[in-house]
Amino acid sequence: MTPRSFLRAAVALGLLALAAPGAGAPPAAPKPDAKAATRQKLKPGANGALCLDCHPQFSDRLKMASVHTPVRAKQCTGCHNPHASDHGKLLSATGGAACAACHAGTVPAGAKSVHEPAAKGECQKCHDPHASATAGNLVKPVGELCASCHQKTAEAAAKAKYKHAPVEKGCSACHLPHASAKTAALLATDVPDLCLKCHKPDRPTFAKKHMGYPVAKSRCTSCHDPHGSNQNGLMYAEVHSPVAKGMCNQCHEPPGSAAGFATKTEGVALCNKCHNQQLATMLDKGRVHRPVLEGDACLTCHSPHASRAKGLVKAGGTALCGGCHSESVKRQALSRTKHQPVLDGDCAKCHDPHSSNAPLMLKPAITVELCGTCHNYQKHSSHPIGEKVVDPRNPNLTVDCLSCHRAHGTEHEHMMPFPKTTDLCVKCHQDMKR
Amino acid sequence: MTVHRSILGLTAALAAALLPAGARAQSITLTHVESIYADAKKGALKAPEGVACTESGRVIVADTGHARLVAYAMKDGKLGGGTAIPLPEGAQPVRVQIDGKGDVLVLDRKTRAILRVGESGAATPVEAKGAPAKLIPASFKVDGSDRLYVLDGASRAVLVLDRDGNVGRKLDLPREGGALFTDLALDAAGTIYAVDGVNATVWAADKSATAFRQISKKLEDVMSFPAYVTMTPRGALLLVDQSGNGIVTIGVDGAFLGRQLAVGWEDGLVQYPAQICLTGKGEALLADRNNNRVQVFSLH
Repeated sequence: MTPRSFLRAAVALGLLALAAPGAGAPPAAPKPDAKAATRQKLKPGANGALCLDCHPQFSDRLKMASVHTPVRAKQCTGCHNPHASDHGKLLSATGGAACAACHAGTVPAGAKSVHEPAAKGECQKCHDPHASATAGNLVKPVGELCASCHQKTAEAAAKAKYKHAPVEKGCSACHLPHASAKTAALLATDVPDLCLKCHKPDRPTFAKKHMGYPVAKSRCTSCHDPHGSNQNGLMYAEVHSPVAKGMCNQCHEPPGSAAGFATKTEGVALCNKCHNQQLATMLDKGRVHRPVLEGDACLTCHSPHASRAKGLVKAGGTALCGGCHSESVKRQALSRTKHQPVLDGDCAKCHDPHSSNAPLMLKPAITVELCGTCHNYQKHSSHPIGEKVVDPRNPNLTVDCLSCHRAHGTEHEHMMPFPKTTDLCVKCHQDMKR
Repeated sequence: MTVHRSILGLTAALAAALLPAGARAQSITLTHVESIYADAKKGALKAPEGVACTESGRVIVADTGHARLVAYAMKDGKLGGGTAIPLPEGAQPVRVQIDGKGDVLVLDRKTRAILRVGESGAATPVEAKGAPAKLIPASFKVDGSDRLYVLDGASRAVLVLDRDGNVGRKLDLPREGGALFTDLALDAAGTIYAVDGVNATVWAADKSATAFRQISKKLEDVMSFPAYVTMTPRGALLLVDQSGNGIVTIGVDGAFLGRQLAVGWEDGLVQYPAQICLTGKGEALLADRNNNRVQVFSLH
């Protein structure tokens, strides 16, 4: 090999390094080309009109209230290639990439929250690329459109005894449809500034309702449901007793104190003032869930003021428990057979979220008993299980439900650890192996 | 010739830079040798969550489900003995270490205390003098000078205690991404490695550092919930992936080097492993909690 060929190899390796993933930005989608028709040497007046010869259904769509600009200009070639394409419907690029060619910046770089369809480039979930009866080329009127995915929120808002006026005006009164550069939950402005656009904290009634506490800088949504509620004052369904009774000073320093809104003590010590019996029961067990005693303690999982969920928990199990135990959520998502409590995010059905004497924080400790609370196999014939049946694979184990199933699921049917039932059975019944 | 050599050097350097980090360092292999299911009186182990060992062959198992320690002896690669050391009623021994003087230190999850345990089972809690709050130890390690490194949940920091319990150093644990630190390891140079179980990341702080720095990316693709970490004689980190049922090796630069073991009931497989110790003579002992046993592996 000559020095020159070595040099070539070195340069090639260097180029390879530059071409490695992450080394450069992905290529941008081609921009819809207004001059494409000219370049394609279409007959005079053929631009768009020619397409309509074969696609006459678009004639009616051109009369709709909201027509996408390139469609109105009959620049079909702006998004479609008339001859061939690597993408469906002869598009010049795939899905959102075609739209982003003109609508770049719809999702700001580093946005704090991004609407899932926008993040996935699924623009057509909300917009009709050609024309629609709704402004913004939306496939449905705003409220109806949002409700098609956010059904639970929409239903709860519709049924709520006390309505929040902006909800009646539509979701876009508070939320941005694509992304929010600086706020969570696609909010146009963060809470409380968003709320303070309508609610004036300097009004005497406002101050009285809030016991004179300086709540103007607090997070209103820690107590109030912005989508409507059956509770007076738009409070969440579950309200912490001292809050419901207006006894804020049970936990906080008195209003107007030098310490401001500070709590009287911190962490678990504050909750222990009222919940000492519960806490004592928790701490009496062999395993205490670490968040109970560490960091924000009870407030890691519970809201101190109000919540939509029972027990004042901040969210359902999938989101709340999954925040730390993401592997369990992932495992269930990949499982062919779903275990109902895991699917429902009802982790507390099997696990005690505070403490337990059993490994895995199970309640009760004996698996056969635990599974038996839902599965009635004990009432009919079953494989021998229980404390007297030793697992042939391990002399220190007895046969129970987890001898054959994994509670959070597997990639195989019936949450079994092997693809075929026989694969599982012959692990113990080796004489049956063929 | 010189031009030739320098070009060759440049090519090699570029090739090395392009190779994945894991390919530049060595991984480890664990081969099952034997499993310990009982003490000397054939009393079965129950949910053991701790095991400590020394180069001289001393092995202490935390038989968590029976609130006791069990002492074994490793001789010629075989484990013998099995003397029970009772602990105070209701104790939940979960992590064990043996210090330079041969004292057994055990983390009792029930009382949230580190106990110094004598041969009779007499247990004295380690007092931390000068700690910001009453300790809630999540884990601990002991160095060659018998200093205790406590992963403290109360102060969310690593506290370094001398043999008399005086807190001499406090290193705050990072809180990024809802971090929950499960264990720490030490190397001969005094570097502390801390493991965030939630984010599957490893952090390090040099002897004179005032803060931890992240050394690994999120390793969630190769481990689910690392709960324990120890240093191998070759200077790699051995992590016990408790929920993922495996042992993961990473370099001190944070590079993933390999993964061993899998979930199962038979010897050589694991269910929710808790603590691993290395004898220094080529054996690794693993407290295999949900299989109610301690497994001995040869380490290559």
